[in-house]
Amino acid sequence: MTADGADDATTVGERAGYLDLARAVLYREYLLFVRYPANAVGGIVISVFFFALLFYGGRMLAGRAVTDSIEGIVVGYFLWTLSVGAYQSISSDIASEAQWGTLERHVMTPFGFAPVALFKGVAKVVRTFLTSTIILAVMLLITDTTLQLSAVTVVAVASLTIASVLGLGFAAGGVAVLYKRIGNWLNLLQFGFILLISAPVFDLGWTRLLPLAHGSALLQRAMVDGTRLWAFPAADLALLVGVAVGYVLLGYVVFRYTTRRARRLGVLGDY
Amino acid sequence: MPPQRTRPRESTGASASTDASESPPALAVEGLTKRFGSGADAVTAVDDVSFTIDRGSVVGLLGPNGAGKTTTIKSILGLVLPDAGSARVRGIDVHANPRTAYRHVDAMLEGARNDYWRLTVRENLRYFATIKGVKPRSLTDRHERLLEKLDLLEKADEPVRSLSRGMKQKVSLASVLASEADVVFLDEPTLGLDVESSLTLRRELRRIVEERDLTAVVSSHDMDVIEDVCDRVIVMNEGRVIADDSVSALLRRYAATGFSVTSADFTDDLLDDLRARFDVVETTAVDGATRVEVATDSDGFYRLLDRCRERGVTLEAVGTVEPDLEDVFVELTGRER
Repeated sequence: MTADGADDATTVGERAGYLDLARAVLYREYLLFVRYPANAVGGIVISVFFFALLFYGGRMLAGRAVTDSIEGIVVGYFLWTLSVGAYQSISSDIASEAQWGTLERHVMTPFGFAPVALFKGVAKVVRTFLTSTIILAVMLLITDTTLQLSAVTVVAVASLTIASVLGLGFAAGGVAVLYKRIGNWLNLLQFGFILLISAPVFDLGWTRLLPLAHGSALLQRAMVDGTRLWAFPAADLALLVGVAVGYVLLGYVVFRYTTRRARRLGVLGDY
Repeated sequence: MPPQRTRPRESTGASASTDASESPPALAVEGLTKRFGSGADAVTAVDDVSFTIDRGSVVGLLGPNGAGKTTTIKSILGLVLPDAGSARVRGIDVHANPRTAYRHVDAMLEGARNDYWRLTVRENLRYFATIKGVKPRSLTDRHERLLEKLDLLEKADEPVRSLSRGMKQKVSLASVLASEADVVFLDEPTLGLDVESSLTLRRELRRIVEERDLTAVVSSHDMDVIEDVCDRVIVMNEGRVIADDSVSALLRRYAATGFSVTSADFTDDLLDDLRARFDVVETTAVDGATRVEVATDSDGFYRLLDRCRERGVTLEAVGTVEPDLEDVFVELTGRER
């Protein structure tokens, strides 16, 4: 008998660890990405199309004003595609798993649902990074612009920046599980990301506590001015990490609450 | 070919296997209660449900729509939070220690939508084995055997979405059996399958259950599935357990004894006479003769034979009428399926 009163199971296979879990979740995401590329390609085409519309339309209307600030626009748009990709993939993934019927299987895991959901989120972010990088490359070609791209700095700052969106995605996914079919309302939130990315963090210091805002400012400095990760003040990096962790935790708490409420109401998997 | 009926174990709700004193039962449910809503609108979906299931048993959960079968299963698994009661899998309290319990239990709750249709059959097995805490490469042999038994080996590297409905259902079952869970819940495992696929699935299910000493709880509307696969039946109605016994004991206990007599001499007048004297359940035309089915005990049967003789009826055949689970179900719940 084990400590929890259970007798020992007759085991045939080796126990999987968190590394195996991460590998399985990432591999599944990779398979879907390479096997069904149409969705990703469609997303890239639409994003590039809207950017081209913004760039050429803006240049016709505003002339040099757009051209002069094109680096900032490119970085902002890059961060926006990253954020929307991460947010949508997390929130809609949770909702579609609930709708399809596989969410309950992910709840019934000995790892606990939180690590599974976290790894799924990371897998989505990795996938979003790949597509957003392609979008960034095309944007640079269209605008004939160059940026200071330190891979380590960009990946670190951008990852921490969109971690806050990951938290929002978890919260939205949990709300969708509880209330069902509110995806369109939750998708509206992604337009708010534009405001957050362009928040006046230097004029209104408190906006740095909002998701994306502080990270967006740091990413601009990294990609436009070429500031390296270690060149940022420690306080800025600490705030970046703090905001990321805070929103992930907040999203997780909301997700826990909403899914627990869904279990109480018996609607976890029922659509 | 219909599946062979094999009943290696006969257990009742109260009985326990010989090793029950040494190890906890596969599943112990105590006072499980779940209400939805509040006040006058409150509905008690699961009402103080208790039962114990020994290891290696296959137990059918039977009941009309809204009887509380699925809510009971989901409450046991913690997917629905019960208002009261407990559920223990192999002695582990599912609600207090879900992560430990989930290593031993899995469920097929959404039929064929229990796995990912865009992944291949083999990828699904590997993915869900990992999710259940087992390294899939350590179970490769088991997975191959499982695929072979369920006749999925040829399709193992095809995406599930390209398979037929019956195949998808089999993949769903396979992905539940792909881990080391030794207690499995199967909610309507044959729903939507054609007769042939249903027969194959239940035959293989029974075989796998016996080979792996699995404990299975099968919820189904299909009485044939329950009769073919299960050792024991728990019948639910309005959230309560109204019967819990072996299939054969239930058939003996609840189904009315019946006899049949067949003759070409039965006239309308004579049939009216028999209806007036006996509980005639059914009359059927059979090859130019009429078969009369009567619900009665053996004394009544002899009176029936005497009456036929008095009226000069030459009987071509007499026999007993075997009751089935559907008769028991109607008797217990008072309603047709």
